[in-house]
Amino acid sequence: MRTLFLLLLVAGLAFSCAQRKVASPEAGEAGAVSGARAGEGETVGEQELAAVQTEDIQGPSAMKLTEEEIRRIFKDIHFDYDRYDIKDEDKPTLRAIADWMLNNPPARLVIEGHCDERGTNEYNLGLGDRRARATKDYLVSLGVSARRLQTVSYGEERPLCTEKNEGCWRQNRRAHFVVVKEEASK
Amino acid sequence: MSSGARLLIIPLLVLLFGLRSPVTAGARVYIDITSPGYRSIPLAVYEFPGVPEGSEIADIIRDDLVFSGIFSFVEREAYIETALPVFDPLNWSPLGVEMVVKGTVNREGDHLVVTCYLYDVIDGRRILQKKYRAVKRHLRPLAHAIADDLYKRVTGEDGVFRTKIAFIGERGGRKGIYIADWDGRRVKRTGITGDLILTPHWSPDGRKLLYSSERGRQWGIFLVDFDRRKEMLLLRSEGTNLVGDFLPDGSGFLFSSSRAGTPDIYLYDLNTRKVKRLTRRRSIEISPTVSPDGRMVAFVSDHGGTPQVYIMGIDGRDLRRVTYSGTYNTSPVWSPRGDRIAYSSRVDGKNQIFTVNTDGTDPRQLTETGNNEDPSFSPDGRYIAFTSDRDGWKAVYIMRANGEAQRRITSRDMRAFGPRWSPNKIF
Repeated sequence: MRTLFLLLLVAGLAFSCAQRKVASPEAGEAGAVSGARAGEGETVGEQELAAVQTEDIQGPSAMKLTEEEIRRIFKDIHFDYDRYDIKDEDKPTLRAIADWMLNNPPARLVIEGHCDERGTNEYNLGLGDRRARATKDYLVSLGVSARRLQTVSYGEERPLCTEKNEGCWRQNRRAHFVVVKEEASK
Repeated sequence: MSSGARLLIIPLLVLLFGLRSPVTAGARVYIDITSPGYRSIPLAVYEFPGVPEGSEIADIIRDDLVFSGIFSFVEREAYIETALPVFDPLNWSPLGVEMVVKGTVNREGDHLVVTCYLYDVIDGRRILQKKYRAVKRHLRPLAHAIADDLYKRVTGEDGVFRTKIAFIGERGGRKGIYIADWDGRRVKRTGITGDLILTPHWSPDGRKLLYSSERGRQWGIFLVDFDRRKEMLLLRSEGTNLVGDFLPDGSGFLFSSSRAGTPDIYLYDLNTRKVKRLTRRRSIEISPTVSPDGRMVAFVSDHGGTPQVYIMGIDGRDLRRVTYSGTYNTSPVWSPRGDRIAYSSRVDGKNQIFTVNTDGTDPRQLTETGNNEDPSFSPDGRYIAFTSDRDGWKAVYIMRANGEAQRRITSRDMRAFGPRWSPNKIF
């Protein structure tokens, strides 16, 4: 089993965590810890930082991924209700992510599939899985190696937004990206 | 109902004694609960005299028997007979009472000793007399054991009053697997916790549980062995691995996995540790449940555009669709008798529990308020446990399999979901 190191630069902070407890965020903390909802101006709070193991990143291969880049490139993409096909409006986002991946060979990408709360738990995990997979397939079609892309589904378990309205549900029906780097040798 | 209409002969149960009838005679089943038109039997249950626990024991017995729907309780104010184990049918027939439960309780050290009597008013005789003994802290299982015996004496079928319900509970943001009595009492933590953890599935002998949990960005399937106090990771991969039912003989289990790309149904053989793939599609195939004879699998697929319940052979052949109404039918479970499938169906934007014949005919909606999902049958098929948010938070509920007598069994201080009813008599 490969150990994944999570590389994130949020508000100038670099930290990584071993695979077992990648910040094990509770619902609601997820966006803050993984940082890619930076567009909303979220910052990593004291508590979240305390829960995350930190480790200095060394070596020339350490990627420079700034908050600005996360905001600009790794934007969530969204899905229609009960659907998992990639929407045309999200294709430029995926193009930009693919380009960044092609320019940063050490990077790996975790693609998280998420759903709104209206479905049943287990089917939503399948739906989130399928959304992550559709996203992965699209990135592969743009030339990114499948081996650098890992999918995981969180179903309805980690919503960004907890109100019961379409605006909120739409935000939750998403594929979310987390850039990780494979540890060199272990 | 005349006593003749309730007549059905089955072999005498050895656990009974004190019957007037000669040992060669058969015991009678007093009500045929498989006939659709049965009506409930008016029942009197005395508080058991002797010690203060006597009334608690009698109330548990009464609540069990009344929840079954087979008995209706006649209030105690009407009783004119003494609580002592004497019986005259003439004291009861004017009240319309057809069955009378009496008992006595004594303390022996830290044990309770209960003697229970069941009288049939129509036949005018005692039909059960049995002695029970248990430590005081097992008062509830003791009372449930009595209820099981009374139930079996009258219906000829095993009761489920000593079964358990496993579910996921969440307190303070941390989820874990909990196990409670079927009535929601005596909730116990298993010690199995996680941030993301799904419905546990019982082995046929009730000594093991399978569950799925996300750890380190991967969904794994875990086996818990209560006897060896051990937990084992059986498999994991990217995407999802979500466990379904154990096979009826315990030799393996069904699961869904996206190990080959998209979620499909697989069979895991616990003896050889080999995995067999049962579906091959680009759509979502998920939530497998096995028929009680082990020959068929029901599951959810969105191959036709929306999630629907399908059935296939355990070899993956002879696929056919079961649900046709509605655009969102998920979480199927096969009934223990094999004739029906319970599932969750979206009606007016909310999920509701339905049952349907395995050929897709006669769908019946059982719930109406809030969102209701994750149905699970009791081992006798007469009750369904499920998750509902009708009271404002997710909790576990139970009801009769026809939708009657719905009630919450988990408390206000816990989010609870994903219930699975245990097999019978496991502890």
